[in-house]
Amino acid sequence: MTATATPQRRAPRAAGAAFAAARRGWRTRHRTAGSVLDVVGFAIVGVVVLTALVGPLIAPDVYASHIQNARLAPSAAHLMGTDDQGRDVFWRIVVGSRTTLSAAVITVILYSVIGVLIATVAVLAPRWIGDMVMRVVDVMQAFPSLIFALLIAALMGPSLQSSIVALAATGWVVTARLLAGIMRETLTEPYVEAARTLGVSTWALLLRHVFPNALPTLWVKWAGDLGITILLIGSMSFIGAGAQPPSAEWGAMVIAAKGYVTSAWWGALFPGLAIACTSMGFALVGDAIHHRLSHRVKGH
Amino acid sequence: MLTSTPARIAGYVGRKVAGTILTVLVLAVAVFILIQITPGDEAVAAAGPGATAEQIEQQREQLGLSGSLPQRLVSFIGSLATGNLGISSASHGPVTDVIAAAVPVTTELVVVSVILSVLVAVPLAALSAIRASGRGEELRRFLIVLVCGLPTFWLAMMLQWVLGAKLGWFPISGRYTIGATSVPTITGSTLFDAMLVGDWSAMGDALAHIALPATVLSLGFIGPAYRILRTEFITAAHRDFVTVARAAGHGRFQLLRRHIVPHVMTPLLILVGIEFGSLFGGAVLVESVFARDGLGAMLTNAVAQKDSTVVIGGVLVIGIIVVVVNLLVDVVQTLRDPRLRSAEMGV
Repeated sequence: MTATATPQRRAPRAAGAAFAAARRGWRTRHRTAGSVLDVVGFAIVGVVVLTALVGPLIAPDVYASHIQNARLAPSAAHLMGTDDQGRDVFWRIVVGSRTTLSAAVITVILYSVIGVLIATVAVLAPRWIGDMVMRVVDVMQAFPSLIFALLIAALMGPSLQSSIVALAATGWVVTARLLAGIMRETLTEPYVEAARTLGVSTWALLLRHVFPNALPTLWVKWAGDLGITILLIGSMSFIGAGAQPPSAEWGAMVIAAKGYVTSAWWGALFPGLAIACTSMGFALVGDAIHHRLSHRVKGH
Repeated sequence: MLTSTPARIAGYVGRKVAGTILTVLVLAVAVFILIQITPGDEAVAAAGPGATAEQIEQQREQLGLSGSLPQRLVSFIGSLATGNLGISSASHGPVTDVIAAAVPVTTELVVVSVILSVLVAVPLAALSAIRASGRGEELRRFLIVLVCGLPTFWLAMMLQWVLGAKLGWFPISGRYTIGATSVPTITGSTLFDAMLVGDWSAMGDALAHIALPATVLSLGFIGPAYRILRTEFITAAHRDFVTVARAAGHGRFQLLRRHIVPHVMTPLLILVGIEFGSLFGGAVLVESVFARDGLGAMLTNAVAQKDSTVVIGGVLVIGIIVVVVNLLVDVVQTLRDPRLRSAEMGV
């Protein structure tokens, strides 16, 4: 694993990766196997994925307004109350789960592809190009991605699609850095050197030896990234650069309820809780996968 | 061995500053490329809906969007270097004025948040390192995941609602009680201005207004800071020199102050440098909830009003602030740490 909990002195880059890892809440020590939190994480993610798949099929219309029902408190008829348009908050969260989750998945897939490409260029291209790429990565990493994403979304015009593009355009940095490190390491492993000596081409080396070797790290990263991306998608909607009303995207629901939070708190509380739970669920799953994988490596 | 110590330090700082200028250039070029490749015509957006073709052309001219690509890049960098960020299409004033008014407000929030985070994270990490054992690991893990997983904007709204509106413990929004204070504008930050002129009641008022936003903003920093510092405290406490100092009869307090804390300062400083950028990102969200007229509120409004010159200028200024803070952290770090000092400048 490249991510270490102890920052190494005189190696700010390595320390940077470690801080990034710690911020995403992966790395823990002295863990007991199969803890309660692992189960909680998988349960949350399971429920959210199932809701995103099935929910929109069984939900009533969540976009039509019923002003006569506006701002009803939670009750048996409306589990989480209704918003200022009289729309059921619970069903809007159910339908919004697909919007939020699919936006996060697409974002992570997009920037992972960009990250792989950039890492490959950084490792395989001539030294000076690689150095230049890493310099850009340095700058990008110091820069708040939310602000960069805000710029892109503002230039493209605010929409959910813009925020996906914007977050994909800024999210690849850590993936690229992580992957470039693993690739450099793996390319000098004896078995890779041996394969190279046997005449295996560079691309085949990458596909058969290097990428499979990076996969365990990437699984952990993807799970944690989904949690963070859900937060970012919500944040983009919240500042008006992402999904627009009447979308049931969770962040868009929170900002829509901002104006009447004192009279009908349920409109803002529940979508925010949905974001928080889902994001934590993915963080815990990433943690659990990390633990299992490092355990398996130790077992050998 | 021929050059003197101050000369070496000056040389080192000079190299660092040159590197920083290069970084700012890379940033400016990146922003320029972004503007070029994003779909949508910026001039049309800036001119606003219902603009005539003539007005759009005029905007294009103003934004430096006419001419060939290299020409535009040169004029873009040129106007940045002269501090000209264009005209805001919403306020019709120079973007630099809009930004200059907002920077102190956000800086005040970020600085208070950093101080608060350090005040919470360092003692917490030290305490939990002293009593370090395998127990409580689950709870710690849960709390860190909780703190990292809460959406900042939502937490800000909920605290504002419960602690501000419902319980009335804190002011709901703004930076100071309007009409209650008459602090002269020196830095533009009410809190710092009140401290400078020694107006304690105004300072208390500003602190009450900043308490909630700063708490929300610092949460995202306390989590990782605690995690890293705890590990650092545990490793530092087991170093040989600490054992020797302890054997030599140094007391607990002296051990902490003279041997352990200086060691833990290194990762803390690096962390502040790295997290500074994301604090500005978080400030965007927090400010828009608490109606603090800083960079965040400025950017959010600019996005809503499609005022792209302000967005571009704001992003560049935040970028420059982040890069400069990283430069300061680097220099302070090198001057402070004798090992780095000898490696970087040989003194």
